[in-house]
Amino acid sequence: MKYTYVIKRVLYSIFVFAIVITLNFFIPRIGVDDPAERYYPPQGNMSEIEYEIIKQVTRQQYGFHVSTWQQYTNYLKGLFRGDLGTSFRPGSPAVIDLIAARLPWTLVLSVSTMIIGLIVGVLFGVLAAVKRGRWQDTMLLNASTVMVALPAFFIALILSFYLGFEWEIFPAYTDPNMVSNFAWTWESIRRVAQNAALPILSMVVGSVISYAQGTRNAVIAVTNEDFVLTARAKGLKQSTIRYKHILRNSMLPIVTSLGMSISGLIGGQVVIEQVFNWNGMGTLFLEANNSNDYPLMMGIMLLLSGFTIFAILVTDLVYVLLDPRVTVGDRR
Amino acid sequence: MKKLKNIGSLLKRIWGHKQGKVGLVMVSFLILVAVFAPIIAPYDPYDVTQRAAKGLPPSSKHLLGTTINSGQDIFSMLVYGTRVSLLVGVTSGVCIAVVGSILGVMAGYLGGFVDSLIMRIVDIMLVIPTLPLVIVLTNVLGRDFWIIILIFVALGWTGLARTIRSLVLVLKNSNYVKAAELAGASRWHIMIRHILPGTSHLLIMSTALSSAGIMVAEAGLSFLGLGDPTAISWGKMLADAQSGGALLFGAWWWIFAPGLGIFLAVFSFMRLGIVMEEIVNPRMKQTSSVYKLFRSLDSSYIEDVFSSMDEYSQIGAKGLQGGETHEASVKA
Repeated sequence: MKYTYVIKRVLYSIFVFAIVITLNFFIPRIGVDDPAERYYPPQGNMSEIEYEIIKQVTRQQYGFHVSTWQQYTNYLKGLFRGDLGTSFRPGSPAVIDLIAARLPWTLVLSVSTMIIGLIVGVLFGVLAAVKRGRWQDTMLLNASTVMVALPAFFIALILSFYLGFEWEIFPAYTDPNMVSNFAWTWESIRRVAQNAALPILSMVVGSVISYAQGTRNAVIAVTNEDFVLTARAKGLKQSTIRYKHILRNSMLPIVTSLGMSISGLIGGQVVIEQVFNWNGMGTLFLEANNSNDYPLMMGIMLLLSGFTIFAILVTDLVYVLLDPRVTVGDRR
Repeated sequence: MKKLKNIGSLLKRIWGHKQGKVGLVMVSFLILVAVFAPIIAPYDPYDVTQRAAKGLPPSSKHLLGTTINSGQDIFSMLVYGTRVSLLVGVTSGVCIAVVGSILGVMAGYLGGFVDSLIMRIVDIMLVIPTLPLVIVLTNVLGRDFWIIILIFVALGWTGLARTIRSLVLVLKNSNYVKAAELAGASRWHIMIRHILPGTSHLLIMSTALSSAGIMVAEAGLSFLGLGDPTAISWGKMLADAQSGGALLFGAWWWIFAPGLGIFLAVFSFMRLGIVMEEIVNPRMKQTSSVYKLFRSLDSSYIEDVFSSMDEYSQIGAKGLQGGETHEASVKA
């Protein structure tokens, strides 16, 4: 029973991914008859024939000369080989290489934000749940309502203004030498940490509150469960109940959510990377957008979507395999 | 007529709520500012020729100072910015409510093929990172004001449709729907006359909350320089402040003013939404709607984490609400 569910779930994920791939292929082709026009938009000072020649060359170079269906199958074949396509940049670098160069820098930000947010957030959340209805809890609620109305990029600007420009505690813009001169030395790592401080700080605030709110709700939900009542009735010590019964059980949804959250984190990080000029996937995506580099944009999108699908699948399976209370059926 | 009376009584109840009063006053204030912007604004916000008035700090002549590079009056820009924010936010919020309710009711009541089609679309849209997708779509479709609203609606209906669907699944089994079915009413008649009114409170509430979410998203989009290029919006003001050297030259007023605008608008709509949720659904805790808002925002950190838990509590509470509004005993 469980294994048929696992197989069904895996197949469904593959189905969703196939649709996402198809969307990825067709979105850049909305509104133009010829994808070469996306690569090289018509320009005023060019005669009809010149433009036709340029388009012809482009079609050959990027494989747009075959039928759309064949382009689609070629795209799929490329994906199976791990080839996300060729960028429209000069020199036609492979999309996967461009992403690979930026991915670690993005992960530096998102993973540290996640770790700090998780640790601090869980602590605050547990505190708020334990002191339910008292000032600690109310403070968390008020902080949540205020924080949710303040966009992260505004916080980033304020931090950059005060900590970066006025008080000069951290660099307000990312040092361009950070990436090019990077080596595994203490000096280099320290510089990365300094440059990453403000971007991480501006995301951590929201992350902490979000995790705290989630933890608080999870802990309160578990506290109301019957097995906690049973433990109380058995006369177990308060601390044993709190740590062994309540905390352990309320951590499950939070821990399994980590994988899922990282993709959303990277998506939302675009704006923060822009503020600090951080050399990550977010700025890569915006660069691609500004130069109409569709293969690169769609490659990043595909990577993020694929990661989310994978994370949701793993979460679901972990739930089913680990938690006996989860009944197999429709998740919604 | 009956519906108007319902909305009137809802407004009266919000007015009776301490925090609801604050939200209502703030929202009406913002609407007044947006409508009478040309009368309120002391200067022309588009006037970039005031060379003598560059970079002035706040004074009685320029309430919030002027910009460094072109000497525009920031207070006037702030007032005009209200128009874009409210128009995009509220229009998208209303359209999301319409689309989300139609699709949610169809999925819940018709079931079968329609249900699985709509829910599969929701699944697919869940895994594609929102902000990057919005950026790609503005690139493909253009950055016109209405296109941006269209994109927000096209991507924003999923969460609401899911919630409405789970509510409809409860309402579907209630006695008055059964009675209508036995009386031979057509399925469309039942959906429009009997089921849709049962979700109306949820829709009003969700309009306020999603308007708030869209306002943050719109600010982020125009901060990235991807909003409507001809309009003055708060996000664009922040982007101009960053590129115009507000951070470097210590022009704090240029950063705080648009940030304050965004905060006030989002906060007041959110307040209103949360209070409505509390009034409509007294069993629901404030925190859970705050948490939901976190998820509906673009830079949400935990995407779908506690959804199962959240929705479970909602179904229970909403079953009760359906019973209240229709004076029929609803049992799931």
